[in-house]
Amino acid sequence: MKEFTYRIEDENGMHARPAGKLATFAKQFSSRITVKTDKKEGDGKRLLSLMSLGAVCGTELHFLIEGDDEAAACEALERFCKESWCAESGK
Amino acid sequence: MNVKNESGALFHGVGINNGCVSGKLKFFQRGRTGVEIIADMPSAGVPDVERARLERALTQLRGRLSELYRRTLADVGEQEAQIFEIHAMLLEDEDFTESLEREIANGCRAELAVQNTAQQYAALLKGLDDPYLSARAADLSDLSEQLCDLLNGTERRVQEKGGEPYILVAEDLAPSETVSLDKSEILGFVTFGGTPNSHTSILARAMGIPALVGVGEIAPRFDGCLALLNAADGSLTVCPNESQVRAFQIKQREENELAKEHERYLRSLINKPAITRGGHKMLIYANVGEAHEIEPALLNGAEGIGLLRSEFLYLSMDRYPTEEELFESYRDIVRKMQGKRIVIRTLDIGADKQIPYFDLPREENPALGFRGVRICLAREALFKTQLRAILRASAHGSISLMVPMIVSVEEVHRCRRLLDECCAELQNENIRFDPNLEFGIMLETPAAAIMSEELAAEVDFFSVGTNDLTQYTLAADRQNPQVAEICEENREPVLRLIAQAADAIHRHDGWIGICGELAAELQLTQRFADMRIDELSVSVPYLLGVREKVTACK
Repeated sequence: MKEFTYRIEDENGMHARPAGKLATFAKQFSSRITVKTDKKEGDGKRLLSLMSLGAVCGTELHFLIEGDDEAAACEALERFCKESWCAESGK
Repeated sequence: MNVKNESGALFHGVGINNGCVSGKLKFFQRGRTGVEIIADMPSAGVPDVERARLERALTQLRGRLSELYRRTLADVGEQEAQIFEIHAMLLEDEDFTESLEREIANGCRAELAVQNTAQQYAALLKGLDDPYLSARAADLSDLSEQLCDLLNGTERRVQEKGGEPYILVAEDLAPSETVSLDKSEILGFVTFGGTPNSHTSILARAMGIPALVGVGEIAPRFDGCLALLNAADGSLTVCPNESQVRAFQIKQREENELAKEHERYLRSLINKPAITRGGHKMLIYANVGEAHEIEPALLNGAEGIGLLRSEFLYLSMDRYPTEEELFESYRDIVRKMQGKRIVIRTLDIGADKQIPYFDLPREENPALGFRGVRICLAREALFKTQLRAILRASAHGSISLMVPMIVSVEEVHRCRRLLDECCAELQNENIRFDPNLEFGIMLETPAAAIMSEELAAEVDFFSVGTNDLTQYTLAADRQNPQVAEICEENREPVLRLIAQAADAIHRHDGWIGICGELAAELQLTQRFADMRIDELSVSVPYLLGVREKVTACK
């Protein structure tokens, strides 16, 4: 199992668009991807599940990745969070 | 909210877009929205049958959503079109589809499965603490209603083709309904509910349709009645009498002609100086955040740039930009200015503007926290990189340097010291810069205004950031709707602080500009002229209007 933590910098938090992008990106991996906050837990490949986390700016998202491609998935997801998500919120 | 008059009724709401339209009211009829759970077919509730019906409806809705996306993208814009992209994603979501399947396997009719599922997730989203996410519950309801209509074969008829254009009246409109409105058949719309910030209002604004929202209930007996909608003053006159109609027609014609005439007049002002009738000259500058905004600013008569938000390069990167990268971007911008003055504000991040790689600590109260010059003075290397880049760019045009969030003379001294160090370094390295570069500060804290006499002795100019000055003076966050009114209604304390600073800087032969939103408020222009404000810096769309207002001032 691989894991990493990402703090949401987007001032809008886990809104529909970033959640949708994250879910779409996560779907390319076969590993099971779980996203936890200190209160809730969601499926990283599912939009509604991610939105229901109610994660706001500053929330720490703890990613747990388990499966055949966990190493690649972990690295790619961490990069995705830092690059794509932030670039998105820069607008 | 309605007032009866002798012939009809008068309603008031919040107007979206300007414009006067007259036409017949048409009340929006949705198809059957409630689900009738009657076993009208022997096959009702048979999972295989319901599954096939649902699958067909889902395919149709997916097609419709991608059509709505394309249409909105073409007619309105990408931001607005994304609403439908999200709708399509919600439809594909496994939590959503699995719940549908569970309901159907349990013997539910497809309509009921859709309603139960949408309600369940809408309730979940509504329960979240975040107002944006709770508002997404409405998107689920929109999807659910569209699916039920497709299942029932009831079309939500927004409008009938070929009839005469009309004013649409609805309790509320879903985003999918709003963009489906055919602009050739609809003159405007009126909704009982809604706020200026709801999706529907945003779409209407982008589509340029005159609308009134939050009007309150309009009795169904007015369906089909003639009405006059004036989005500019937020009024709707239903069943007007003849004289009201005539007055309205004249107003409509006048508005059209005036709009054209006014546009021509504004264009003629572009190259004329803005001088009040009393002879006070004010420079009209533009606020810009990126290089590509400079050309439109100059085309609309900007005599300079009063605020370049220098964060743009930092925001677009995932690491600190180098001095060379900063220098090149500032130099390119300065060259576009054709010798006109450009005021570059040094890094103003923190508070509402965050950059991940700056790795700033999370704060309880960011507006009163580690931001602007406070970060720059704590991270001198970062600040000096930017100062050197700006100094180097100053060899290529007319730059003024401005530091945000100053509260004390001490901070000015520290900034000056760093600037002097950079100048000395560049001199040693034989790199060109403008040794007479103007140095100024943003006046955006009450402390700076109160200390303006001492500060004026140290700097070449002040530029008033009215947005922050207002919220710090009144202790009210204007983004918070519950207290925003306090900011709107209490201009006087802020204006007095500005007047005090203007007197101070003029005594020291410096100049003062205003670059916050108040600079574009035309009812304050006279007051600013009276204070002998030297420069008003506004965003591009306001440039000509402010220029016109100055020439009309005493």
